[in-house]
Amino acid sequence: MIAFLQSLIDGVTIGSAYALLALGFTLIFGVLRRLNLAYGSSILVGAFAGAAVFAQWKAGGWAVAAATLAAAVAAGVYVERLCFWAMRKGAAIASMVSSFAVWMQLEEFLALLFPGRTLSFPPLVERSVFELGPFQFRTEYVAMLAIAAALVAALEWTMRATRFGLAVRAVTEHPEAARAMGVPVARIAFWAFVLASAIGGAAAYLMASAEEQVTLHSGMQLTFTGLIAMMIGGIGSPRGAVVGGLVLGVVETLAQAHFGAAAREIAAFGLLFLLLVLRPGGLLAQDFAVREAAALRRV
Amino acid sequence: MNDYVISVLANIGMFSFLALSAYLLLITGEISFGQQAFFAIGAYASGIATALWGLPFALALVVGAAAGGTAAGLVGLLTLRTRGLYFAMATLAFAELVRLGLQQWVYVRQIEGEPVGPNGVDGFRGIRYVFENNIAPGEFLSIIAGLLAAVLLGFALVERGRLGSLLRLVGADPLLAETQGVNVKAVKVCAAAAAGVVAALGGCLFAHLNTYVEPRNFDIMLGVHSLAYGLIGGLGTAVGPLLGVLIDVGLLESVRVFQGYRMIVFGGLVALLLVFMPRGILDETRLRWLGARLRGRRHAPA
Repeated sequence: MIAFLQSLIDGVTIGSAYALLALGFTLIFGVLRRLNLAYGSSILVGAFAGAAVFAQWKAGGWAVAAATLAAAVAAGVYVERLCFWAMRKGAAIASMVSSFAVWMQLEEFLALLFPGRTLSFPPLVERSVFELGPFQFRTEYVAMLAIAAALVAALEWTMRATRFGLAVRAVTEHPEAARAMGVPVARIAFWAFVLASAIGGAAAYLMASAEEQVTLHSGMQLTFTGLIAMMIGGIGSPRGAVVGGLVLGVVETLAQAHFGAAAREIAAFGLLFLLLVLRPGGLLAQDFAVREAAALRRV
Repeated sequence: MNDYVISVLANIGMFSFLALSAYLLLITGEISFGQQAFFAIGAYASGIATALWGLPFALALVVGAAAGGTAAGLVGLLTLRTRGLYFAMATLAFAELVRLGLQQWVYVRQIEGEPVGPNGVDGFRGIRYVFENNIAPGEFLSIIAGLLAAVLLGFALVERGRLGSLLRLVGADPLLAETQGVNVKAVKVCAAAAAGVVAALGGCLFAHLNTYVEPRNFDIMLGVHSLAYGLIGGLGTAVGPLLGVLIDVGLLESVRVFQGYRMIVFGGLVALLLVFMPRGILDETRLRWLGARLRGRRHAPA
């Protein structure tokens, strides 16, 4: 029982970073209705930039975090301009394939720039373990959880209480109606993309600093972790993204604790497949079609 | 032809199967990230057929195609309720499960004193049918070309006939198709199974040409590439995906000038190309124009 609860705690911690990734995905998918396959690699550009700044100047946590966010946003803007903004309306599949091509491009770019392919990353806080009752907590993971929770709360506030958040929600619900109400849809999409890249950069920073390294291989992992977490929760719902991230983190950790490392990925994809077959639309499912109809009625 | 040219051509041929498989689903309106699963199933099943059961290659092709088609049909049936991105993710999840499953699967037997068969992460060694039967690389290439030609002929017949329009109708508007009395579910499951057969055929050839396959060969990268080929080449005709493979494998992978910068050049080119041609090079409009031009020439007085 203790072991189970311990895995649960560990799962929620790692799941909080997954939740951030899923939030970034959901934000982009919500406003654009398109899948950004280059998401993981563009935030990996951020993590590598952070690691480079660390290697070059032995910079502290803040400088590394700033470099990570800045580079992730820059790469995100590049992806947005080339694969989404430049595409004609309705070319959703073309956007997706084009973002795949840019994914390959960014990864090759990083491989050429950093032939070592694995860089060390500064830890957020000193690595240590403390005990609370029968449970063990790793300081770096607790810090990760705290920051992720703060970011989720900040994002929730932005979405609820600011004009920008209102505009993003309007575009997510119904782009045409939002346009008719005078919302500059293209500009909102751009800034939502920037915001999503920043969130992704933060997630990459947290995960890299907990593992104290970044590898080229993790770009794909970042993309698909975020994607799976988003699909589990249900597309286009920020709350679903958080739930999906936590569920994915817990399931992966439990599978690893009980059946070994190989079970981790099998559990993640198995959960996704079962869920899509049994409950297409995710846990907090609210189909786009249904929502669109509801939005139309309100218009 | 030297061995290098032959191996490039063989690669183009094998990946064409995968690209055609993804294309068949694309024209029925579904994006699949998971056709590499059936490529893998075809590769493993046919490898087991020749290396462990001692069947001839022709029968192994049938075994591989049947296994791939059955699996794809089942997945198609299970994912009937999902659409768009959900379908794409379901196929991706299935493909990853197949790959991870193959990493765990061990079915090794001693054949002539050597261990042969799928051996988890270490892969499936000793698919030596081509080697043992003294099939020259050029000869195997002609087998690939022949099979590919047969599949293309099938595609051409389907696209010219009523079935082709039916597939595109289901792809363009399933609701409209349903009201026209089309059994959309049956069409979708059949298309999925057929796409699985095509992918599995490619897998059979892949396994026998390389004599060795491992689960890592069949990762997401392979699936997304095969999807991209159809979109680059064009969604108007089955020649489109072939054009996509030709551009990627034939031009970029094989020309050494691009070595090291290949994905940077290719990635940028694809992204730019799709800005101007969102349905690929050979899309429906350009095809019609080409067709009209060709017919016009033929009928023009000499």
